[in-house]
Parts: sequence; structure tokens; C-alpha cells
Amino acid sequence: MAAVAAYMRNSLVRSASIFRRTFCNAVVVGSQHTTLHIHQDGFISRSVLLTPQHLPKQNASQIRWFAEAKLSVDQIRERVLKVCTAFDKVTADKVLCILFLFSISLFQRLVTSKRYFSSKPPLSLESIRDRVLLVLKLYDKVEPTKLTVDSHFINDLGLDSLDHVEVIMAMEDEFGFEIPDGDAEKLLRPADIVRYIADKEDIYE
Amino acid sequence: MAAREAAGRVVRQVRPILSLDAGEARKRVLNLYKAWYRQIPYVVLDYDIPKTIEECRAKLREEFDKNRHVKDIRVIDMLVIKGQMELKETVQIWKQKGHVMSYFKETQEPKPTDFLSKFFAGHD
Repeated sequence: MAAVAAYMRNSLVRSASIFRRTFCNAVVVGSQHTTLHIHQDGFISRSVLLTPQHLPKQNASQIRWFAEAKLSVDQIRERVLKVCTAFDKVTADKVLCILFLFSISLFQRLVTSKRYFSSKPPLSLESIRDRVLLVLKLYDKVEPTKLTVDSHFINDLGLDSLDHVEVIMAMEDEFGFEIPDGDAEKLLRPADIVRYIADKEDIYE
Repeated sequence: MAAREAAGRVVRQVRPILSLDAGEARKRVLNLYKAWYRQIPYVVLDYDIPKTIEECRAKLREEFDKNRHVKDIRVIDMLVIKGQMELKETVQIWKQKGHVMSYFKETQEPKPTDFLSKFFAGHD
């Protein structure tokens, strides 16, 4: 059972067949563009340069680079089933039991507990708006009663330019990316900040 | 009288120190504020100061508010340069704890104003 789980984990990360043959004990922890750092038995052993032309043509489409790693539950389910049926100790009637056993615990764990290092949790306009308003409510110079999405920092909320700088810094810390000065001085309402972050993170709704 | 007023209104062309206009000077000031603001948690840790981060940030705001009234661009540039020098010395730990704590203490005692303070200070 543990072997099946380990096998599935490894295969889900990289589903191409070349990895099954050569790196059975390895866990792939990160990739940047075309180099792969393989974490094997506690040591980062080698760095393999992979480009699409090095791979056989039919496997090139199966390679999933970490930067696009947003798996849906259906994709995970079909890949798990494929791996389970391929595992020779599992017959077809046991596949359903395995599915039931692993479905609840493993899917959620696989979806949420693995951190893909170059992707962020999915954002939506509402979640951005909620986070921005929460950060502003926690700021002690802002009265939460007067705060709306369209309230101007300087005119309505009575902040000054240094307070505005502090607010922008709090937004940078919250969302994890730098906001340059030229853009920062134009962000004078929470609605502007939400729109700016949505533009930067490519969220359209 | 009228000549003095006219002379006061004349704008002199002087060589700038760093910034060419008020917008650029404002950007320098805000960047300096940002840099100090981000450095304060590390200052509190490195120098083991008996102040909290909020107190240090309030002191930073107070120091910036002291010079809020300044309008001359070259004076603003000079103050920004001095602030950057202080930041460099603080970041590189060329200062000691006493230098950082001296921000919190006024070096000059305020002059006594009411009778009892003047009495204790001694009549002169």
C-alpha cells in the first residue's frame, strides 16, 4: 500500500515514462525552465537538462512543467486510475476499492499539501477585494466604519502621504510582489489597488 | 518696501543638489521612508533595543514630521542625504546601541517655564 502510494506520488509529479525507468527512488522537487533538479535519497544528485526536442515526440506533451501546475480533481482522478491499473499487483476489481480508499484523503492531500514552488494559490476578484479590505481594516489609522471600496485615502479617510506609503507596503507584503513608485502614487483607492493586483496577476472576471 | 516684496518674489536659478523638481524630491523622501520602515524590525533585533517595533515606527514618523514644513528642494535633498547616511550606518551596524537609542532622547533639556521649574533649576 505504501509502495503504491509512493509510486503514485512520484508518477503524478512527472508522468512521463522515462522517469519511471531511471529515477525510481527520486522525488522531483523543482524545475526552472529546462533544468530539473532531482532530489534523490536526501541529496540533490544531478541536474538534467531537458528540452522538448530531447524527448520522444509522443512524450513531449505529457511533460508538465511546474509553472503550469494547476491540477483539477478530475485530472488527478484519471491519472491515479491510470497508474493503479498499470500497477501489476492490482487487478481491475480492486481498482474501485483503491479509488474509494484513496479518493477522499489522498485527493485533498495531493491537491492542497503539495506546494508547487512557482505557482500561487488561485485568486479571484472577490478574494483580492476581501484581502485588501482586511489589511486596511487592520491598519490602525483607518476607521473601519468609514472604509469602503471607493473611499479615497487622502480625501475621505484622512491619511497623509506617509500613511499611503505604509498602506502600499502592507499590500506588497500581503500579495508578495513589489509595486513600483510610479504605480504606487496612483493607487489612491482600494478599488484601484484591487484592479492593479488583478492586472498584475492576470485575473479577469 | 515694495522693492523688498518684489525681491522676495523673484525666483533664483540655483544648481540643484540631487532633485530637479518637487516631484523627484518627494519620491526620494518616500523611498527613504520605505527603506527605514522596512529596516526597523532588523534594527530592533540587531541592536537589542528595549523598544517595540511600533514605538520605533512612531519615532520614525515623528522624525519625518519634524521636517514636514520644508519647501526648499535643496534643503529637502540635503535632509534625504543625511537620512540615507544614517540608514547606511544603521544597516551596516557601524553604530552602537547608544547611537540608535539617542534618537529617543532629547539631548537638550527644555528650558523651564513655570516658577517651580525655574526655582529648581536655579535663578540666573
